[in-house]
Amino acid sequence: MTSTTVPAAPPAFTAFSPDNWRLALIAGIVISAVAIAALPSGVAFWITGIMMALVAIAATMNAVRRRYYGGLLVAPAIAVLFVMNIFPLLWSLGLSFFAYQSNQQTIRFVGLNNYIKVLTNDLAAKDNWAALTNTAMFVVFTVAAQMVIGFLLALLFSKQFPLRKYLLILVLTPMMLSVVAAGVFFTYYYDPTFGILSYIMREMTGEQFILMDNKAGAVAGIVFADAWMWSPFVMLLVLAGLVSVPKYLYEAAAIDRVSGWRQFRTITFPYIRGLLMLALLFRTIEAFKIADLVILLTKGGNDTMTISYHLIRIANEQNKTSEGAAISYLMLFMVIVLTNLYLYLANRRTQGN
Amino acid sequence: MTAMTKLKGLATVAGFAATLFVGGATVASAEDITLTMAVPDWPPTRIMKKMFDEQYKPASGNKVTLDVDFIPWPDFYTRVNASLTSGEQKYNFAVSDSQWLGAFVEGGYFRKVNDLIDADPELKATMEQMHPAVVAAYSTYPHKTPNYYGFPQFPDVIVTYGRKDVLCNDEEQAAFKAKFNAKLPCTGEEIDDMDWDMFEKIGQFFMRKKGDKLAGQVLDDDFYGIAYQAGKGYDFSSMQINGFIWQYGGNTWDETQIPTGQAEGVVNSEAAVKALDHYLRLIQYMPPVAKTGTMDIFKSDELFREGKVAMNLDWIGLGEASLDPKSSKVSDKLVFGLMPGLRGADGKIIRWSNIGGQPFVLTTWTTDAQIKEAMGFVKWWLSPEIQHQFAAGGGQSAIKSVYEDPKYVTYRPWNRAWAASLDWQKDVWHVPQFFELLTQQQDQFDLAITGKQDAKTTLDNIAKFQQNLLKEAGLIQ
Repeated sequence: MTSTTVPAAPPAFTAFSPDNWRLALIAGIVISAVAIAALPSGVAFWITGIMMALVAIAATMNAVRRRYYGGLLVAPAIAVLFVMNIFPLLWSLGLSFFAYQSNQQTIRFVGLNNYIKVLTNDLAAKDNWAALTNTAMFVVFTVAAQMVIGFLLALLFSKQFPLRKYLLILVLTPMMLSVVAAGVFFTYYYDPTFGILSYIMREMTGEQFILMDNKAGAVAGIVFADAWMWSPFVMLLVLAGLVSVPKYLYEAAAIDRVSGWRQFRTITFPYIRGLLMLALLFRTIEAFKIADLVILLTKGGNDTMTISYHLIRIANEQNKTSEGAAISYLMLFMVIVLTNLYLYLANRRTQGN
Repeated sequence: MTAMTKLKGLATVAGFAATLFVGGATVASAEDITLTMAVPDWPPTRIMKKMFDEQYKPASGNKVTLDVDFIPWPDFYTRVNASLTSGEQKYNFAVSDSQWLGAFVEGGYFRKVNDLIDADPELKATMEQMHPAVVAAYSTYPHKTPNYYGFPQFPDVIVTYGRKDVLCNDEEQAAFKAKFNAKLPCTGEEIDDMDWDMFEKIGQFFMRKKGDKLAGQVLDDDFYGIAYQAGKGYDFSSMQINGFIWQYGGNTWDETQIPTGQAEGVVNSEAAVKALDHYLRLIQYMPPVAKTGTMDIFKSDELFREGKVAMNLDWIGLGEASLDPKSSKVSDKLVFGLMPGLRGADGKIIRWSNIGGQPFVLTTWTTDAQIKEAMGFVKWWLSPEIQHQFAAGGGQSAIKSVYEDPKYVTYRPWNRAWAASLDWQKDVWHVPQFFELLTQQQDQFDLAITGKQDAKTTLDNIAKFQQNLLKEAGLIQ
């Protein structure tokens, strides 16, 4: 049923009414500002909180009386997003322009110095660049390995064969394991004295096999562990695409005697491309943040330090909060550029077809 | 029931509830005191918690609860650091690694305890009974000044873990004698007299392949001579390398010399380079995992318990597991002695080592009532009777009258090495920059351990970094 009554007109700015959000906003800002300037931070914190709640109530009352129900429904999500994401993001952006350490009580404005330091300082920048190069290397290797293995697994599981269901569950298990469990598992797997890898190699060569004592081996070890965990994720997405291809297309192709490769290229691939791209995007973003497996397997040794682990050490362990914020923002910038570049390319190809 | 009686009934119930509530609240605030504590998860803290729960009766008559967070060692620093710096004020009490003092005192988290010690003559007497090396390492900031921040919870040193069954075997003894014209150390006293050269010989001597014989038995797996910490994580190489450097007459950056003490020229002195070279030379006789940079104190302990090495240098704190047949294949074959030293020209062994172990610290937001109970607990903990019990349960004591008691050495097989080790223990870096100093140094040592760069370059890099960092911080002029 649609109502024909016209919503009440907005109250005048000076009117003292619960739906006068403009007045509430101005009053809230003024009172908070005064409180922050004049009162101890513990008290000012709560006053500011109460003011924010007042403004929120006024805005809600306004939305109810003016019937902005759409906005009202979205508001909780926006509020959570603001409190949990946007506010900390802006806060840390602000911090990156100050000299601040979380274990010291002083703070000082330094402009762009943190950014200059992490990019050019002759002691600090070298490590950052090395970690960044390593991260790029891990992104390329882990994502490539996962895409290929995941894709092949999906092709395999799209066919019917005995025990398929049970094998599928087994293949999906690594994805559900905690990274720490998987990491510990692989440290033993690669251990030269206790590990099965070294055991098998020794049966063949007579020598103990030390995988992780050089960069190539250490990278291979991490990439393998990561691919073991996350290829099933790619497989799952691709499998969904493969299952969605209508059977009659293949039947028609079979009647036309189209070759297997061409069937794949013209029927299968267009159906799964979107999902493949999604998998690529997810895995690239995740790979950019790789730190857990590196910490567990090498502690960054053998030149496997990644930018995320480096960041953890700077921001969380050495308490150089603002320097860490600067690195984070550079990382965020890179990820945004890469993602947009990728989306642009993906869209262009779709339109090109 | 009329409306009136209903109301009366309600009022009675409400009054009763209010009495209960108020009464309950006063009882709770007067008698229930909870001390929240962050500790690393290992035997010395587990024993403490158990002893507290079973035996501790506060003198005040209050009901004191010790709410302990057991945190695994590899995450311990990160977790405590995050809790303190976030301002959540969760812990009243923490077991802190000695090097953290500066960082957390300057941050305003750790409470100075001089007033508490001065106010209590008994506690003051106890602190005076404590071995000075332990007090300097665990309590003082700035290092070696009479400003106290902690009480010893568990003092620790590195000792030599040996396997009697292979070291004392007659065939091995004879073969060793034939090869090196020296007696293979077998008893604790012989291990006490072992220098790095002998340790190296033992390492070389016990390198065996699968199928070779060891103590008369054919090996089903490779066997290695020695193990010690050479890992990249936390302080898992510095704590061993520092000992080498001091024994060679070199030095780490000396914080007691602020602001004139330099890093460049000291940290990378010729003696220090020689010392690091010596440390690196022994790695070839260790299980191959050492070449990957993950041979930390837990790995070498595990290799020893699994029976893969003849000797291991490790903290006493990890020793309990090697005594337990459930977690150790060598539980009935153990012999313990001092950590090796460098034999000087006069034939005497030069000894230095980095002290381990941890103090208790109080945080600044702990209330007076909590402090009172916490101090009651600390006094109880440091009382001779409880220290004896702790030592008998696998802990250690730094109180002179306790560790000099003849009973003390009978508690655990490594206790014979305890008192003799205390005099030559030193500590490093109580300054707030310690974690930056440590991670950079560990990264550099890892490069040397995994064979990526030589000792000279490694120490030059460390010295340059330290000089720069400490100069920026105003600790070097």
